[in-house]
Amino acid sequence: MKILIVEDEAKISEYLRQGLTEAGLMVDLARNGLDGHHFAMTGSYDLVILDVLLPDVDGWRILQALREAGNKVPVLFLTARDSVDDRVKGLELGADDYLVKPFAFAELLARVRTLLRRGAVPATETMLRVADLELDLMRRRVTRAGQRIQLTAKEFALLELMIRHHDEVLPRSLIASQVWDMNFDSDTNVIDVAIRRLRSKIDDPFEPKLIHTVRGMGYMLETSGEG
Amino acid sequence: MRRMRRPLSLTLRLTLLFGVTAAIVFAVFGWIISQSTERHFAAEDTSELEIIARAAHDMLSGFRTPGDVTQLKQRLDDILVGHHNASLYVVNKDGQTVYASPGPDLSAIATAAGRETEGKVVNQWQVANHTYTALIQLVREVAPAANGPYTLVIAAPIEAHLHFLAAFRRTLWFMIASCVAIVSLLGWVAVRQSHAPLHDIVARIRRISANELNTHLPPETVPYELTELAVSFNEMLQRMDAAFHRLSDLNSDIAHELRTPITNLMTQTQVALSRARTIDEYREILYSNMEEYERMAQMVGDMLLLAQTDNHPQIKNIEEVNLADEAHALFEYYDGWAEERGIALTLEGVATVSGDRLMLRRALGNLLSNAIRHTPVGGTVRVKLDTSTAGNNSIVVENPGPEIPSEHLPKLFDRFYRIDLSRQRGGDGVGLGLAIVKSIVTAHGGKIDVASAEGCTRFQIALRKRPASMRRPRQDRAGDS
Repeated sequence: MKILIVEDEAKISEYLRQGLTEAGLMVDLARNGLDGHHFAMTGSYDLVILDVLLPDVDGWRILQALREAGNKVPVLFLTARDSVDDRVKGLELGADDYLVKPFAFAELLARVRTLLRRGAVPATETMLRVADLELDLMRRRVTRAGQRIQLTAKEFALLELMIRHHDEVLPRSLIASQVWDMNFDSDTNVIDVAIRRLRSKIDDPFEPKLIHTVRGMGYMLETSGEG
Repeated sequence: MRRMRRPLSLTLRLTLLFGVTAAIVFAVFGWIISQSTERHFAAEDTSELEIIARAAHDMLSGFRTPGDVTQLKQRLDDILVGHHNASLYVVNKDGQTVYASPGPDLSAIATAAGRETEGKVVNQWQVANHTYTALIQLVREVAPAANGPYTLVIAAPIEAHLHFLAAFRRTLWFMIASCVAIVSLLGWVAVRQSHAPLHDIVARIRRISANELNTHLPPETVPYELTELAVSFNEMLQRMDAAFHRLSDLNSDIAHELRTPITNLMTQTQVALSRARTIDEYREILYSNMEEYERMAQMVGDMLLLAQTDNHPQIKNIEEVNLADEAHALFEYYDGWAEERGIALTLEGVATVSGDRLMLRRALGNLLSNAIRHTPVGGTVRVKLDTSTAGNNSIVVENPGPEIPSEHLPKLFDRFYRIDLSRQRGGDGVGLGLAIVKSIVTAHGGKIDVASAEGCTRFQIALRKRPASMRRPRQDRAGDS
C-alpha cells in the first residue's frame, strides 16, 4: 500500500511519514505543492494525504487536477481551519475525507486504513470471528467460547467496529463518531464507560483479553492474544 | 449603491424656517395695514363728496327760477365754501353746462359717465393728468323749465392721498424686509448658540479613549432635549466597555488556561531530561504529555468553533431538526455514563426547529453532559421539549443538584467560567461547554436562560421555529450529488 503525503510543514510531514511507515505503509513525501502535483499525477498511489494550505500550488488544485484526469485515488485532506466552507469545498471537489488540525495520529491512521480498505473488500460476510469470539451480523448474536452473550444494540455496533478494525488503535472520537454519530469532542468519559461495559461482558469472564487500552490514544482489539 | 445626499445643515434649516415664517407673518400684516389705510382715505373722500352732493341736490331740486343763473351760481358757490378741494359741475339734459366751479374741467367726466347714470356713482377719473375721485348723480326734480334732469359731477383730487399711500407702502415693505432679515439673523445666532451644548458634548466624546470607556456624560449637565442622547450614548459606552473588558479578560483567560498545561509539560520534560531514565519512564512521561496536548487541542478546537459561530452567525446547513430524535440519540450516547453514576435520563414532549443539526445536537449534548455531571447519585436529568402555538420552541434541561448562587448565574455562559475556582481542572473539560451552547443558540436566533432554585438547576432555551435571522440554504449546491 503506497501513500503520498503532500505537506509543507517539515515536522508534521516527517512524523507522519515515520508513523505511517511504522504502521506498515509505503510513504512518498512531497514538501511543496509543485512536487505534490507532479507525484500525484505521475505516480500510482493507493491514497493521497493532502494539506490544503500550501505555499505554491494549493491542495485544492492538486485535488482538482487529479479528478479532472479521472484519477479516483482516495484523497484525505488536512485543513487548519475548522471551517464548514473548507469541508464543503473539499468534499465537493471529490475528496473522500478530511481531518482538522490539530488531529490525533491514531485518528489519522484509523481513517487512512478505512480509506485504503474502501472498495477493496466488499463487506458481505455475515460472520466475524476473532479468536473464540463470534459475531453473527445477520442474527445480531454474539458468542464467545460457545457461550451466548447479550449485548445492547450500541454494544454490538461497538464490538463490530472494533473487530472490523482489529489490531488498529481506535481513538475515542472515532468510536463516538462511528457508533453514536457524535461528531464532537466530548469532555466526558462516555467512551471509557462504554468500553468498560463491553469488556465486562466479552472479556472479563474469558481469557485471553481482547480489548486493550492504548494509553493516550484509544482502544484496540488485539487478535495476537498476548497480554 | 447610490450615495445618499447629506441632509441640510440644522442651522440653515432653522434659519430658513425662521425667515420664511417671519416673511409670511409680516407680509400678511403689511397687506392688512395698507388695505385698511387705503380704504380709510377712500371713505373720507367719498363722505366729503356726498355732503356736497346732498346739498347741491337739495338746492337744485328746490330751485324754482331756472332763469336766475346768477343766483344759482351764487348758491352753488356757497355750497362749495369750506370744501376748497372739491369742484362741482352741473350739466343739463342737452349737455349744456349749467354750472362749473373754478378749477378742473369736469365736463369730460360727465360725458364719459353718459346719460345712463341712475342714482349715485363714485369712481376714480383721470382728468388732465390728475387723479380725482368723482361722484356723479342725477337730479330729476328740477323746475320744469330748467331743461332737466341735471347731472351732477362732484370731484376732489386725491393725488396727495395717493402719494402718501405710495410712500407709506414703500416704507412698510422696507420695514417688513428689514424685520425678516433681522429675525433670520437672530434665529441663526440663536441656533448657533443652542448648538453650543452639542459642540461641548462632541468635545467631551472626543476626549474619551479606549482606555477610559468607563467615563460617561452626566445627563443632568446637558440640555433637556439632549438627555436622551447622553443616556443612549452612556449605554453604548457601557456595552462597549463590557465588550472591551470581556475581550481583554478573554485574552488573559486564554493565557492562563494555556499556562497551566505548558508549565506541566515543561516541568515534566525538564525533570525527565535531567538524568537518564528507563524506557518505561520515558513512555510514562510521553503519555502524561499526551494528555496535556489533548486538552490543549480540545481547547483550541472549541475556541475556533466559538470564534466561528460568533463571527459568522449565519447558519448554512439548515434543515428541519426533530429535537426529540436528537435527544434520544444523545441519551443513547450518555446512557452508560449516566447509568454508572446512578442517574436517570427522561424526555418529555416534542419539538421541531429548523437549524443546523450538528450544532443543535452539540448544544443539547453539552447541556446534557453538564447536567449529568452536576447531578447527585440517584437523581434524574429531565429534558422537556415544548412547541407553543406561536411557533416558539422551548427546550428545558433540568437537573437536581446544589443550588448555584445567583451571582454566578449570568456568568455561567462566559468562557472559562468556573464556579468553584479550586476545582479548576477537574473533569469539567476546558470550561467552554456552556459558552458554546450559548453561541449556537444565539446563532439560531434563540435565547438561553438559567435558573437555580430549590435544589434544581434549569437551563431553558427559547428557539423560534424559523428564525428570521437565518439564511436560506444555498441554492447553488442543490445540483451536486
